[in-house]
Amino acid sequence: MVTYRRRRRSFPRRKVCRFCADSSVKIDYKDPKLLKYFITERGKIIPRRISGNCARHQREITMAIKRARHIALMPYTTIQPH
Amino acid sequence: MRRYETLFIVTPDSSEEELKAVADKFQGVVTGMNGKVASYDEQGKKSLAYNVKKQSKGYYVLMDYLGQAEVVAELERNMRLDDRILKYLTVKLADQVDPATVEAVKPKPKKEAEETEVIEEEAQPPEAQESEEEETEED
Repeated sequence: MVTYRRRRRSFPRRKVCRFCADSSVKIDYKDPKLLKYFITERGKIIPRRISGNCARHQREITMAIKRARHIALMPYTTIQPH
Repeated sequence: MRRYETLFIVTPDSSEEELKAVADKFQGVVTGMNGKVASYDEQGKKSLAYNVKKQSKGYYVLMDYLGQAEVVAELERNMRLDDRILKYLTVKLADQVDPATVEAVKPKPKKEAEETEVIEEEAQPPEAQESEEEETEED
């Protein structure tokens, strides 16, 4: 039954929260370069199951992105994706 | 006292003098209400992610200060009235701060910009051999 389970699963690469792995990276709303990594081309926030963040850091990222959007450092949406 | 930071955008067609006037005005608001400006950092002209008041660019200014909640209210009221300010955002950094520990620095444009260059590299999972690990777990 082990093999059965293994075959069904299409091996999701085990993701590790990069902020847990490297605590030197600070999440800051003033740093759109870092946050850009966690939004889609259209400007949507990438969910945790894709980005691999842990709950705590995803929360911080979300907070930071929303702040950055408010102060026009990041887009709410991109009307015409290139 | 609490520690706050306010990031605000000054309209891009303002001159050096106007930026100076803005700096003096808002630092005056903070100090006038027994607040203390810890740093005032003009980050220069940046392009905005979306147009604000028909402007696509703006001067970002980050002000770090200490004060009571009333200082924030007064500062934001002034910013709302000031046509030169396109947008502002205030964030509380700390709840209880002893003002003696933070010296009031006025002309200090550079506070080391913490560049997070780690952005480029993908977070590699420490256990690269997932398959083996999984097997040992389940067998």
